[in-house]
Parts: sequence; structure tokens; C-alpha cells
Amino acid sequence: MEPLDIELDEGELELPNDPMQVNMGPAHPAMHGTVRMVVELSGETITKVDVQIGYLHRGFEKMCERGTWTQVFPYVDRLNYASPMLNNVGFALAVEKMLGVTVPERCQHYRVVLGELARICDHLVCSGAMAMELGAFTPFLYFCKARELIWDVFEEETGARVTHSFGRVGGMAKEPTPAFKEMVRNALPAVRALIDDGEKLLLANRIFLDRIENVGVMPKDLAVALGWTGVVLRSTGVPYDVRKVHPYLTYDRYDFDVPVGTRGDNYDRFMCRQEEIRQSTRIIEQALEQMADEGPINIDDPRIVLPPKDEVYSTIEGTIQHFKIVMEGIKVPAGECYSYTEAGNGELGFYMVSDGSGTPYRVRIRPPCFATMQGIEKMIVGGMVPDVVPTFGSVNMIGGECDH
Amino acid sequence: MADGTIKIDGRTVPFEKGDTVIKAAYKAGIDIPHYCWHPGLSAPANCRMCLVDVEPPPGRPKMQLDVLHWDAQTNDYVVGKKTKLIPACQQPCADGMSVLSDSSDEVSQARKTVQELLLLNHPVDCPICDQAGECDLQDYWLEHDRSKKRMMDEPVHKPKAEVFGETIVYDAERCIMCTRCIRVSKEVAKDPVLDMRQRGNRNEIFVAQGRTLDHEYSLMTEHVCPVGALTSNHFRFKARVWFLRSGRSVCQGCATGCNAYLDYDPRDNKPYRYRPRDNESVNGYWMCDSGMLSYPEAYEGRLETALVGGEDSDLADALEQAAEKLRGLESDGARVAIVLSAQHSCEDNLALAHVGKAFFGVKDLYVARRPDGEGDDILMHADKNSNSAGVRLVAEKLGLEPPRPMSALVEALGKDRYDYIVSLGAEVDCDASRLKEKLSKLKGFVALASHEGPLSKAAHIALPAASWAEAAGTYVNAKGHAQLADKVLVPRGAAHPAWQLVLALAKALGFTTDWKKRADLEGVLFPPALEEPSATPAPEAPATVEVQP
Repeated sequence: MEPLDIELDEGELELPNDPMQVNMGPAHPAMHGTVRMVVELSGETITKVDVQIGYLHRGFEKMCERGTWTQVFPYVDRLNYASPMLNNVGFALAVEKMLGVTVPERCQHYRVVLGELARICDHLVCSGAMAMELGAFTPFLYFCKARELIWDVFEEETGARVTHSFGRVGGMAKEPTPAFKEMVRNALPAVRALIDDGEKLLLANRIFLDRIENVGVMPKDLAVALGWTGVVLRSTGVPYDVRKVHPYLTYDRYDFDVPVGTRGDNYDRFMCRQEEIRQSTRIIEQALEQMADEGPINIDDPRIVLPPKDEVYSTIEGTIQHFKIVMEGIKVPAGECYSYTEAGNGELGFYMVSDGSGTPYRVRIRPPCFATMQGIEKMIVGGMVPDVVPTFGSVNMIGGECDH
Repeated sequence: MADGTIKIDGRTVPFEKGDTVIKAAYKAGIDIPHYCWHPGLSAPANCRMCLVDVEPPPGRPKMQLDVLHWDAQTNDYVVGKKTKLIPACQQPCADGMSVLSDSSDEVSQARKTVQELLLLNHPVDCPICDQAGECDLQDYWLEHDRSKKRMMDEPVHKPKAEVFGETIVYDAERCIMCTRCIRVSKEVAKDPVLDMRQRGNRNEIFVAQGRTLDHEYSLMTEHVCPVGALTSNHFRFKARVWFLRSGRSVCQGCATGCNAYLDYDPRDNKPYRYRPRDNESVNGYWMCDSGMLSYPEAYEGRLETALVGGEDSDLADALEQAAEKLRGLESDGARVAIVLSAQHSCEDNLALAHVGKAFFGVKDLYVARRPDGEGDDILMHADKNSNSAGVRLVAEKLGLEPPRPMSALVEALGKDRYDYIVSLGAEVDCDASRLKEKLSKLKGFVALASHEGPLSKAAHIALPAASWAEAAGTYVNAKGHAQLADKVLVPRGAAHPAWQLVLALAKALGFTTDWKKRADLEGVLFPPALEEPSATPAPEAPATVEVQP
């Protein structure tokens, strides 16, 4: 067989000097969350990047316009699937805002505890996955173990480990189990210990630090201009946390701090998350302390809350109440509202319009990731391909909420 | 013309002489909850749901009753006062009267208690009850009661699924004894075949001995039943109402043209029932049984594909062949007869008559119609066609002689007057076999029909037309009301609105009009807008005819 280059002129063997395009994703191991980045390289330096989202688009907002308000809960579970409970609570609060009702105090504390547990899971997954993508597999397992302890609590409380669909308009699907407080109190120290151990493995590691310090820097003013919220914003030094600035539920009754960074690099984002986990455990402890052991979880309004199942089967009033809520839906007064909470990645907003029927007229979601993804380009350009991995990992892009 | 005004919860409401409070409220769109009252029936005031607080005239004391209230703290009764509430369905309006309905706590309490009483013995039937989803008990419980009943005893059991007649099944346990069905039979159908027996919670409706509920308005008893006590044999267990959608239609059963809702399931494009649509000047609140049961005509016996020589054919091919048959007959009107249909809309008839006159130059119109039947002095008309007056109107507008009956066509065919016929409609009121024999001698016969019938069978080419439920159209009833029936269903098979088929056929023959949509044809017949334009017009038929030969 003749050599392949036999016919080539000498001139054609010159090294090409066109910029090289590298395609990362949507199915790239480091692009968790199905996103595509077309990276243009000059040597090893990234000169241009085209971030493309939308690979997880499911028409969530349109689907919400079909069923009743209650039937939206399974959809919001699948927004940020790393912390479904926070979405559940966020949506429930939005509908309750339109209805003009407030859930009982016991339920508010309950929602806070479950929500903060979900936030811990969310941050653990993000930090763990980021470290894993940089080759640090052991801390990932530590963090997953910690998450496992929390998921056991969720499983006991809601019956599901990931997609709970546990929120309800006007309360929660079920009362806290009798062992709820004990379970959470037992789990927290173990979770904290695992986080400390996992963190030690990372923060004394030169390679890990070199890859995150001063990498993926985002200036404060640009972050604000891009509409960033959540950890990614706070890491740049802006202390905006919905729980503190616009307290909802019972967040104004707890003593907790809002950790902020200084440079807005990967290190700051990582450290903010770690500190927020610790603050969440503080909130949980206070909420458990303040949460009554007895008392109603759901509001007392047959137009909003389903009757107990035995009454549905045995009394005509229960049957009617069940029928009206299930078949026609909760009648939400005509109007519109914007309701927002601090979700795992930042401000999760629901802008909703009701025409007075049992079905949402329009549900518009303001996912924190969507705004974050606008800034990816600024953080990546000028860096190298390996920098893409920790930078993208540290913003915790979740396709489920981003693509809408 | 208002004879005065009353105030309901501070809102001024006009009334006419003789109106009761609830009727004035009903006309003003204010809902005073009620079970036994119906705008088309007398008011027995037996359900007590419409109790309101009528304020005394100025200077007069409020009418109050002494009652004992239970005081849980002292564990004893204490004497108190309670306002005497008045049923809104029996209280005539007087100028300046002030009525408290939703704004009175005592009225709310009374409604709550009445609702609790009505549900005392009610079975847990919602999951298996046809009324669920449109049941007043469900709606009012959530609106006015919202609490569990206090009675701990076993509810009273009564007969279930009792057959009242061919159309109606009665469930005594669900019945709240509003007596609407009794009054419909007596006051609307003029056949007092129902009454009630026993007393208190043993109360039940029964059919007169030796009779069944078999008058011509038996389905109206089910229609007025506010709960699931009376159910229609035809609708029972067939569909769930929350899956159904309603379209504004006009009954095709006779020349009365009763306004109706056609309830259909969009998933299978099938109608499941008619419901009367209130129209004081046509049918009041009612429809007859034969009209109510005529909804299956939307899918039964339909001509769904084009036929060429009796064989199924592609619609475009059939149109081309039809044009082939009729080519070269411009202004040859003497050899062509046009048969209109008293069962098709004015638009369909106008399109055909116009093409017949302007293209073929015909002088003679005939009309295919269903034979006359029984009529009564309530709603049923002896003319069993929905648009006889409309067909006459079309001929008049075009300056043609009124259409002649089919028997005249048979006679004319016997004299070999025509070689070609274009017909609309399915049914005929003459001897079908004789007609068929005469039609077989024609050189060209094109029939447009929504249903199979003697005309479509005898035709060389039959084109499938949309039924009344599948295309919007105007129908003129015997009293001369032009009424619009909306498009409710998607046309079955290859069916298209007949006027579109006619225009497509004309276009293939080289004759065009500037009619693009149905409203253009309606505008020719009824220059100003109809008195009652549809509040929510159904999607209009496609602007251009899709089938091109």
C-alpha cells in the first residue's frame, strides 16, 4: 500500500492556522444537564464560545395549562430535580398568594425544614459533581452519602426519594411523621461530619485549588446586570438572598447568615455553597425547635384542601369536596401574581395568570439557571478547555428548570 | 320594559310586573341559589334554598320570630330572635323593595342548613352518578355549606334505578323532592303522570298507576332535575359531562327549530346529547323527546365518501366526473332541474339555487323534504323539516317560483322534461321506488347529501355533504326566525359543507362566484346581522374550498 501523502505538495503540510472549533455536549460527561458549548480555540486558549441551551425542553409551561393547579406539582418537581421540594414549596406559595391564604405556622416550619434539606442536597450534588469532574471521586462519594441520609428522611416523610410531589396548595400532602424531628436531628450531625471530611480532602489539595482559584471569574456589576441570583451572585459579593431580603414562610424568625464571596471565581462559589449548607443546618435546627408537635398542617378550607380519604369513601360531603377539587380544580381568583423564593440556584419565580377557573391560564417560570447561563461566556473566554469543566460545574446549571 | 326596581344586596335590579324576586335576579344575572324554582315553571317554594331577607318598608319593624338558641357555655337554651326569611321564588317584586341575599349572615346560615338537610339521606353516589359535574347539590355544597352533616344515623334507603318509562330511570335516594319533574309533566307536557307520595324523608316521586312516563316531553323531566335522581336511558353511563363540550345548535327535527346545545366529546368527535338552549321566542326552555333524541343523526346513516355509480370514490375524482356529466349545459336550463333541500341550511340551498339559475339558467326548483308527521300545540310542528321556510326564502331572493314538491318532479320526469338533475338532501316525501325508476332514465344526476337516501342511491355521482352539526348554517323556522347553528363537530369522512361542494362543482364547470366564506352567503339572504349572533362563534369553515377537481 502506498503512503497516503504521496500526492501532497510540500506546501499543504503546513500547520493550519484557522481557529479550532471544539464541540462540547450536549452529551458530554462534563456537560451534565444537557447543554452544548461550541468552543473556539486559539492554541489552548478559548477565544469564543457559543452556549446553546434547550436540549431538555419539554413544554413544561404549556403542560401546566392543561390540568388543574394541583396537577402542576409533578411538573415543578422536575424543574430543578436536584431540589424538588424547594420548587414544590415555591409553586404552592405562588398559588397561595393568588388565593390570599397563608398556611398554618406548623406547616410553614415544616416547609422550611424540608426545603432546607433539599437545598443541602442541591449544594452537595453540585459541589460533589464539580470535584468529581476534576478527578476527585472520593469527596463525591462522601457527599452522596450525606445526601443519602437526607433522602432517607424524604423517603420516610413523602414516600419518594427524588420527585416527591409533596407540596399542596394550602399545605402539604401529609402531616409530618411522628419520628420526623428525631430523624432530622439524628441525620444532621452525620451530614455535617461527612461534609467536613469531604471538604478536607479537597481544600488541602493543591491541584483542586489551582483549578478553581481565579478561574471563571465574574465581576460583581456584570453579575447584577445579567440578572444573576443565588450562590453565583453571592459569590461575587452581593448579599442578595430572597430568604433575607424578602422573607417568606418563617424565614424572618431564624438566625442565619448569608455567606458572600469576594472575587466571584469557582473557589468562591464552592465555598459559598459549603457555608450555605452549614447555615441551612442552623435554620433546620431552629425550625425544628419552633415547630409545634401538634396542630394543623393544612388550612381549613374545603374549597382548597382535599378531605381525608375515609370521608371521601363514606360521606357524601367528603365525596363532593373531593370531586370538586379533583375534577374541577381549586378555583383561583382571576388575576396575576409574581411569587419568588430562594431555590437551590437562586431566585425561582413563578409569574402566573388565572382566569378564575380551576386550570392555570398561564404559568411562567423564572428559573435562576436561565439568567446564569447568559454569563457563562464571560467566565469561559480567555481560559482554557480544562477550565470549562470546573466553571460550568460551579454554576450548577439544571436543564429541567433552564429550558422552559 | 321595567315597571320598577328593587335592590338586591344594594344592587339596583329592574323588574317587570308580576316578576318574583328570583326572576328579577335571574334576568339580571344574579344567582340566588335554588333547586325547585325554574324560570319556565310555577314556583312551589318547597326547597327553601332561595330564602332571602326582605327588608321591611321604612318605619316598619323587621319581621322576627322568637327562637331558642343553644348556649354551650351555660349548657342551656336562651331566647333569641331570628329574622323571618322569605322564599325569593314566591315574593313578588314591589318598587323600592330591598332584598338581602349574599350579604346577610342569616340568609347564609339558612342556605347552609337547607343544604345540610338536603344531603342528610343522600347516597355516596357521585362516582357513579351521571349528574356529577353538573349537579346543583355539589355546587351549592361547596358554595354555601362546606361542612359535614351532624346526623349520625343510617340514612333512609329508598328505591334505586326505578324504570319510569322508556326514557327515564328514577333514583329515589338521590331525589330532593323539588317536584320540577312533576311540574314539567303537568305544566309543559299537559300530562300529569307524575306525583309524589309519602311524607318527610320517605317522600318519593311515582308514576300514576297503570301508566308509564311516556309523554312527548319525558326527557324534559330529566333536563330540569337539579340532581341525579332522574337520568336519561340514552345518556346514562355513556359519557362523563366534564369530557363533553357544548356547541350552539338548532334542532333539525321539525320546523319549530328549537335552540339546543349539542354536547359532544371532542376526543371521538361524537355527540352524546342535546340540551335545550333557552330562547323565549322559539322554544322557551324545552324540547320534545323526538328532537332530544335526534342527535345520533350526526353520525348514523351518513354518506361519508363520494360515490360514483354507487362505488366509493375519491372526492376530487367524483367532482371532476360530476363536472364532466354536466359540462356544456350553460343556459340550457329547460333540460336541468335543481332539487333543493328543506333539511339543509339556507347557505347550502342558496349556493345550489344560484348556480342553477345563473349558470344553467333553470326556471324550475324542486324541494326534497321529509314527509310531514305529528304535531302538537306545545312545540312539535307537523312539518318535520328544519328549513322549509328557508328554501322558500332562497327562491324568493333569487326571483324564482317557489320550489315544487318531489311528486311534481316525478310527474315531470314521467314526461321526460329533464335530462339532468342536481339535487341536495337525502330524504323525499314521495314514493321512493317510483322516483328511483324515473331518475334512472336521466343522462346526468348529481346528488349532494349528508345522509344516505333514495337520491344519493339513484345518483350517478353522490357527493358527501356536511351535516347540520358539522358546518355553520342558518335555518329559518316556521315562525320566520332565521337562526344560526354553529359548527360543532369535525366533518366525518370526506364530507364538506354542501355550499362548498356546489361552488367547487361550479368552478369546475367554469362558473365562479365571489363567495369565499359562509358569511358571504348569509349576507345575501339576511343583509343585516342576525338578531342573535353567536356569542362565541365556532371556527369558520375554511375560506377556500379545499377540494379542487
